[in-house]
Amino acid sequence: MATSRSSAELLEQIGALSEQIVSDCYQCGCCTAGCPIGEAMDPPPSKAIRFLQLGNVQELLGSDGIWMCASCLVCGTRCPRGVDYARIAEACRTIVLRTRQSHVDPDTVSAPELEEIPQQAFIAAFRKSSV
Amino acid sequence: MTKYPYYPGCTLYTKARSLDLCARKAAAKVGFELVEMPSWNCCGAIYNATSDDLAAQVGSVRNLAKASQLGDRLVTLCAACHNVLKRVQNRLDQPGNEVESERLKTFVDEKFEHPVRVLHYLEVLKLDIGFDAIKSKVVRSLAKLKVASYYGCLMVRPKEVLEFDDPENPQIMDDLMRALGAEPTRFDFKAECCGGYLVVNRRDVAKTASNKILDNAKAWGAEAIVTTCPLCQYNLDRLRVVTEGSLPVFYFTQLLGLAVGLTQDELGLEHNAGDPAAFLKAKGLL
Repeated sequence: MATSRSSAELLEQIGALSEQIVSDCYQCGCCTAGCPIGEAMDPPPSKAIRFLQLGNVQELLGSDGIWMCASCLVCGTRCPRGVDYARIAEACRTIVLRTRQSHVDPDTVSAPELEEIPQQAFIAAFRKSSV
Repeated sequence: MTKYPYYPGCTLYTKARSLDLCARKAAAKVGFELVEMPSWNCCGAIYNATSDDLAAQVGSVRNLAKASQLGDRLVTLCAACHNVLKRVQNRLDQPGNEVESERLKTFVDEKFEHPVRVLHYLEVLKLDIGFDAIKSKVVRSLAKLKVASYYGCLMVRPKEVLEFDDPENPQIMDDLMRALGAEPTRFDFKAECCGGYLVVNRRDVAKTASNKILDNAKAWGAEAIVTTCPLCQYNLDRLRVVTEGSLPVFYFTQLLGLAVGLTQDELGLEHNAGDPAAFLKAKGLL
C-alpha cells in the first residue's frame, strides 16, 4: 500500500500533479498499442487509466507499471483525446516517492555499469525512481 | 565565423566525447564555432513534468539565465540536454505561468535577461548553415552508405514544445545524411524509445526495446545507424552482442566529421562498439 489516504484524495492529487483528466480517455488503446515497452509494463497505459477511472488508485500506485514508463511521450502524442499518460505515471511515482519509498536503490548499481552507462541515465533514473 | 554559445552537458566530456569533439571540429570545417558557456551545470538529465516540482527545474533555469547573458540562443548536442533546456524555457514562457516563472527566475543568482532560444546543433546546420552549403564542404562523400537515422524520443517530443520535426517521421538527420552523400533508408522506428534510463534497473527491458530498433533498421537495408543521444547510442550499441553483421551505431557528428575531412583519429571511433574503422574501410570511406 503506497499511502493510507483515500482514493478520492489521491485521484485529486494525481489530477493536480499531472494536469490530465482521466475521464477524457475513451479506452481506444492507441497508447498501449504504441508504447515501446508496453509488453513489459503492467498495467500498460490504457489499463492504468482505466484503473483510475474506476477509482482503483491504490492498485495503480502499488504497481510496477508506473515505474516502467520512461516518459518517451509516444502515448500522449498519439492520443486522440489529448490525455498524456506519461504525466499521469509521473504523478503516481511522485506520490509514492513523497512517502519516502524509493523504487530503485543506487547501491544496486554494479561498478562496471557505473563505469560504462552514460551518467545522464543514472541522474534520470534516480530522479524518477528514488528519494 | 559565427560563434554560438554552446552547452555540452555532462556526458559529452566523458562517455560521449566523440559526439562533442567531432561536432566542434566539423563546425569549424563548415563555418561556425561552438563557444562553451562558462560554469554551466547539470540540466537535470530528464524533464520533470509534475505541476509543482519547481526544484527539479532550477538547474536548467540557472543555465538559461547564464546563457541569456551571452546572447539570445544556446546550442545543444545531447538530445537529453536539448529536451530539458527547451522544455524548461517553454515552461517559463507559458502564458498564465508568470508567478511560477518569476519564482524560478529570482531563485537563481544569475539575472535572467530574456528568453533563450535553445537550438540543437542539427538546427544550426539546417537553418543557419544550410544543407546545400554543407554539401559543398564534403571532401569525402559517404556515397553508397545506407544509413538509418535514429532520432529517439527526446528530439521530437513533445512536438508542440520541441518544434523540431515531424514526431512520427522526422527528416532533418536524413536530409543531412543525404547532403553528405549517404543514402538514408526508410526506417519505422526512427522515433521509438530505446528504453532510456530504464537501462539502470531494467537492462532487459532497454535491451528488448533497443534490439527491436536495430532489427528494424537492418530489415530496411541500413548498414549503419546515426543518433544524437549518448544514451540512445549506448543502449543500441552496448546492450547487444556485436557480431560481424551488427550495424555500427555512430553519432551523426562522426559521419559529418568523416565527410567534411576529419582524420580517423579525430572521429573518436574507439567509443563505438565492434570495429567501426574496419567497417568504414570496407566501405572505402577511410
